[in-house]
Amino acid sequence: MTAIAPPPPATSGAPLLVRWFLNPYVQIGFGAMTVTASEILMKAGANATASRPAVLAGWLGIAALMSLWTWAGIACYIVSFLSWIYVLRSVPLGIAYALINVAHVLIPVGSWAFLHEVINPTRWCGIALVVCGLSLLVGSVAKVEAKL
Amino acid sequence: MSAAAIAICIVCQLLIVGGQLLLKHAVTEPTTVQPTALSARIRNFTLAIACLTLWFFLWLGLMRRWDLSKLFPFEGLNPAMIAIAAWLVLRERLPARAWVGLVLVCVGIALVARS
Repeated sequence: MTAIAPPPPATSGAPLLVRWFLNPYVQIGFGAMTVTASEILMKAGANATASRPAVLAGWLGIAALMSLWTWAGIACYIVSFLSWIYVLRSVPLGIAYALINVAHVLIPVGSWAFLHEVINPTRWCGIALVVCGLSLLVGSVAKVEAKL
Repeated sequence: MSAAAIAICIVCQLLIVGGQLLLKHAVTEPTTVQPTALSARIRNFTLAIACLTLWFFLWLGLMRRWDLSKLFPFEGLNPAMIAIAAWLVLRERLPARAWVGLVLVCVGIALVARS
């Protein structure tokens, strides 16, 4: 088992808020939020350029780079990537990757809460299943950490 | 969706799994069991970035042509494939509870995507 190491010792003298932010599991939440933002921004960029002719090979989305939305999405993606590398240093890949999928719940719930989009019963069931699965995963992580 | 689009989706999955495994190899904290050499870390990191860059542009290309709701169900497979690959390649051992959680997350994502 890849050990779940405590946060790097360099942060031990930092203020509480900084130490909290640098906790790998808090970073997973931060990463999920920046990934959500980048997906939405890149989709906006892809939509804005859908009518333009393809650049180079048509199956590469290079034409989407003509939109500023895409670049904003790329900026968010870079931030989430740096956060992800930090997480991977100490958290097992299987658990980290499953947890970051909380983004799949954040997107529809966010559109429901802020954009007043309707969520049908099937979708609520899916969201409930993801939340149950994530809580089981978090529970098993706590078990692994308690053993160490 | 056309057969070509589905094929590109499958290639995207393989690139993500491969890229994430290489990335984990490259950045994971060294242990006495696995003291990976720096040159190997740099090579793994470069390969990981190459996989994920190619995935990024393929994904962007798919999004230009298809609705996100059609593409998203493929995303639901990701956590399961990554966990299985991490178990096979990185020898990560997850407790039974975590596997049950993973299945629920994948089924839930698929339901969210289909509805």
